[in-house]
Amino acid sequence: MSLNVAITGLHAADNPAPGLGVIRCLHHPKKWDGKIIGLAYDVLDTGIYDEGLLDHAYLIPYPNTGSKAFLERLQYIHQQEQIDVIIPTLDSELTVFQKIAPELKSLGIATFIPPKHITDRISKSQLAEFCESENIPYPETIVIKDPGELKAAVKKIGFPLMIKGVYYEAYTCKSMEDVHQYFELLRLKWGLPMILQKKLDSEEFDVCCVSDKNGDLLGAVPIRKTRLTDKGKAWAAVTLKNEQLMELSRRILKKLKWSGPCEVEILKDKKTGEYNLIEINPRFPAWIYLSTGADQNLPKMVIELAMDKTVSPMAPAKSGICFVRHATDLVCPMDYIENLTMLGELHYKSSE
Amino acid sequence: MSEIFKSEVTLSENGFLFDHGSGLTYTLNTTGQFIFRQLQSGQKSKQIMEKMLDEFEVIEETARKDLDDFFRQLNELGLIDL
Repeated sequence: MSLNVAITGLHAADNPAPGLGVIRCLHHPKKWDGKIIGLAYDVLDTGIYDEGLLDHAYLIPYPNTGSKAFLERLQYIHQQEQIDVIIPTLDSELTVFQKIAPELKSLGIATFIPPKHITDRISKSQLAEFCESENIPYPETIVIKDPGELKAAVKKIGFPLMIKGVYYEAYTCKSMEDVHQYFELLRLKWGLPMILQKKLDSEEFDVCCVSDKNGDLLGAVPIRKTRLTDKGKAWAAVTLKNEQLMELSRRILKKLKWSGPCEVEILKDKKTGEYNLIEINPRFPAWIYLSTGADQNLPKMVIELAMDKTVSPMAPAKSGICFVRHATDLVCPMDYIENLTMLGELHYKSSE
Repeated sequence: MSEIFKSEVTLSENGFLFDHGSGLTYTLNTTGQFIFRQLQSGQKSKQIMEKMLDEFEVIEETARKDLDDFFRQLNELGLIDL
């Protein structure tokens, strides 16, 4: 069946968004049978210009513009392109998609994302509480709601520790001076609460998962990042065969009744060998194209789930498959930029 | 896979070792590859020692030391359970 799929997260610079990886998965092993519609926040979202990936590109308003403007724009795009499924790929837009999911459904646009009450449980400030209540191992964590709590929390956790903003950014602290410096920086940027977490001497793993409406794991690709950027983003990785990672991921998603894609970040404590949950990102990771090499095309699975099809669990991911990220220059005529700037849309000729 | 290994491991013909559980890779020299392949085929320490004496021009004391050192390294790297 030919389906028209719209995807967000098209900017692939030093912190690549996952949308392009998702699109490449849809085109694997052969070109997607239906339209691929890119939803971009900026004229210079790089993926728009990667010819062959998209059939159409449309600018959409930033989520903080409000759900009304967001929905109206999607309605317009739907009138033009008859969207069957939207795959959102950015943390910052998830709330608005959760909010407008019923309206999208009534328009005939399917999504497969976890509901808000579930994603709230794994927000940075709530994750420790979830782990505690469900007996999931995690590094000692204290949520700081008031600057007056900082000193006692640092004393309890000890050095080294991680200090994390409520939405983004994390820094390692080895002294009280570090704590004060990064606390102020994060407070000005993201406000409170803030998270203090024991820094483990550990190995870092990621598992990209998709589970169904009951939280049952249907597909998963565990990886080790083998090269990181200075922002801690994976620039190379290898797929694994690791039942402990799989079992922990399976248990976490079942406890949450998670539905949809996610990236589970896990640390293995070098001292104890224990696997600790540190974060769950409610979307595909930027490295998702690697899943095709591991024989687990998870974005295609999400489309089937969104279309209410019965989906069976996949065979375990193939281990020993690597990816290396590669930056390249894309060249395009000025009228591409002009169309997006003046009309907010771009239509590639091959799809006309 | 021999039970001594903690997870699946693959050793290529030219000595490149991949641990499927951790994602880590290692390079083994000729002696390391020889011992590792014996381990993969389920041989015990004593049998490997005998085969090393057959295969390499080495006295028993040196072979024993090399074998013990190699096992210690594999254990420290979390590849085997001693």
